[in-house]
Amino acid sequence: MRLWKVVVLVDLALALGVGGGYLRWGREAARLERELALARAATSVAGAEREVHGEGVVRAVLPDINVIVITHGELPGYMPPMTMGFRVATPKIQETVQVGDAVRFTVRGVPPNMTLTAIATLGR
Amino acid sequence: MTAVGLFVRLVHLAAVVGLVGVASALLLAGPSDRSTARRWQRDLRRWSRALVLLALVAGAGAIVQQAAVLEGSASALDAQAFARLLLGTQGGAVWLVRGGLLLILAAFLAVRGDIERGADWIAVRGQAALLAVAALALLAAAGHAAAVEPGTARAIAVDALHVVAAGTWAGALLPLAILWRRAGRDDGADSRPYATLAAHRFSRWALGAVSVAVVTGALNAIVQVGSIAALVGTPYGRLLLGKLLVLVGVLAIGAVNRRRLLPALAGDGAGVGRPAMRRLGRFATAEAAGALVVLAVVATMASTPPARHVPPVWPFTSRLSIGALAAAPELRTLVLVGSQITVLGVAALLASFVLRAWRFPLLGGAAVLLAVGAAVALPPLAIDAYPTTYVRPTVPYTAASIANGMELYRQHCAVCHGPRGAGDGPARGRLPRPPADLRAAHTRDHTAGDLFWWISHGIARGGMPGFASALGEDERWDVVNLVRALGAASSARALGEVIGPPRLVAPDFTFAVGPTPPHALRDYRSRRIVLLVLYALPASRPRLAQLAERYDVLVTLGVEVIAVDRAGGPDAIARLGGTPPVFFPVVTEGGREVVAAYDLFGEGPHTEFLIDRQGYLRARSTGGEAPAEINPLLAQLQELNAEKPAVTAPDDHVH
Repeated sequence: MRLWKVVVLVDLALALGVGGGYLRWGREAARLERELALARAATSVAGAEREVHGEGVVRAVLPDINVIVITHGELPGYMPPMTMGFRVATPKIQETVQVGDAVRFTVRGVPPNMTLTAIATLGR
Repeated sequence: MTAVGLFVRLVHLAAVVGLVGVASALLLAGPSDRSTARRWQRDLRRWSRALVLLALVAGAGAIVQQAAVLEGSASALDAQAFARLLLGTQGGAVWLVRGGLLLILAAFLAVRGDIERGADWIAVRGQAALLAVAALALLAAAGHAAAVEPGTARAIAVDALHVVAAGTWAGALLPLAILWRRAGRDDGADSRPYATLAAHRFSRWALGAVSVAVVTGALNAIVQVGSIAALVGTPYGRLLLGKLLVLVGVLAIGAVNRRRLLPALAGDGAGVGRPAMRRLGRFATAEAAGALVVLAVVATMASTPPARHVPPVWPFTSRLSIGALAAAPELRTLVLVGSQITVLGVAALLASFVLRAWRFPLLGGAAVLLAVGAAVALPPLAIDAYPTTYVRPTVPYTAASIANGMELYRQHCAVCHGPRGAGDGPARGRLPRPPADLRAAHTRDHTAGDLFWWISHGIARGGMPGFASALGEDERWDVVNLVRALGAASSARALGEVIGPPRLVAPDFTFAVGPTPPHALRDYRSRRIVLLVLYALPASRPRLAQLAERYDVLVTLGVEVIAVDRAGGPDAIARLGGTPPVFFPVVTEGGREVVAAYDLFGEGPHTEFLIDRQGYLRARSTGGEAPAEINPLLAQLQELNAEKPAVTAPDDHVH
């Protein structure tokens, strides 16, 4: 075989090897990332009962529908910061807080059916 | 960067450029069976073996030096430090790949015996050229271009093209100069046709390569420098100017070679062709020396922060600004006349390229016209400038900065400039000239850097003292931000219930609602319209109830309401009460600064500002009373939602 053919062949093999390897690795990385995301999501929708703690400020107490509306920070693994109404587990809970109270609270249940089980003012 | 580090980088760069140059010189000149040419080719191959070793050693030295810089001291170096650098950073990985390419090239150059012609010759030389070019081009992925955001890939591609184009030209100069010198000697006569052919091919190649290098270099400069101030006022920009200066000299020699010597090479034997060949060899050697200087500058630039990221120090006492005409309209004619003379000069310059017979008279005329035009038009446009004129503020334009600036203003500035910036302070009578009315739009006529300079160093002829020793740098920027807000205030107060043009930037602010993580106004950019409500109870209660009851409609229209109690404090939500329930953010932290800054833009006690999705103030309530109706607000929102986003989001710094 002529030398130039060898050179071209070697270069071609190198380019194919590097390009193919890169593509494969890239696809592998994307797949791993997807799997990781799935694995993370799986822990949060496992269907099991969960308990989440958060801090926030009471915006409204609505006894008619047994809801307390709270502007809260992130509820880890459950919800980003937002203003949100939570169903209370027992009506008694509503009597302990007022609008404007900074609170620490606990929600418990099987997502998305979570109820507010405990709430305590942080004091202001 | 130490001198040693700089030196190893220069050696590495020069060696790699040399490798590329040797390979391209060989490819351009082609195979030959003349003994002088064969000897030249053999020598080049020997040198390239030395160059590739040099490149590897110097490259390793650069890595060691870089690792020492990252670790803080040379004694802390261990295997882990190198692993971190080479595997943990993009630059390190690129250098690793380049080292691999150079190793392959070294092996390739060591193994290959003599092949003298045919496709094999091209394949072997081409392979060496390919490896060397790849090693050079990859430098772009480890340099400043790799840090460009956004458009990283484009910046790297442009820079890679730049280094390859420049490298194939600059690197080939010395090898070819040696060929031409040898061919110009008595005993090199056999290779003279070969050398002449190489000169013609190189001339064509160089023209293309230099053109590409100039265009890509200009693109690089736009990305890395970006402005005249950065070009003349930063180390990186000045290095670039120096590089250009040397380059102009080198290209001038190249032009002489191309226009004068190249045609003469074809001349007869000893009488014309040989002296021309010798001169070409000498000139090309000089060009190569110039190119080495350029490489030294490039190596320095590679380890200097790009101009765009460095505050420029303006070296002149004046600058040109079209704004100068606003103060002196009578000079407009002068500028107009001068610009017309300049246009004539440009026309003469263009004509000199076309009309060869009249070239020199036309060139002379063009030079005179351009000089006269500049002398007439430019002086009226010149205004005072200071070293900090083009420095960008280090403190963003935020409510907190404005509020702090206001506090400092009360302590230091109000005595002359007056409590509201009108230039009517109690001490104004003792000054040689009245203090500036800060309610005018100063930040339009002057850069933030100008204001910073005046606040720092005073204005001697106006009797203004400098505050560089009394106020820290950030505090002075706070005052600059306040002056900008004061200038914006009069335009803001002209805003009404009708949507105005997107011109006034709403100062950013951060706020918190209860024990939740803080938000910033800019978090809403490109997502929500913001209705900022500064309220005072009890007068504002009906309006807040109205907003709370229609909050669902407002959310549907893409608006977020941010309410700030003038009385402030963590109990703002409690004071508002639960009937009707209020679900929009009511600020419990950060409200004081918001009230201080935004009160410049509208009278209280109840003020509402409408801030569009780009962050501009577009409308405000007037009269200090809470609006009674919600419908005007809904109409404004409809209008904002219907319009196309007119302009890009504002800069968060005063210009």
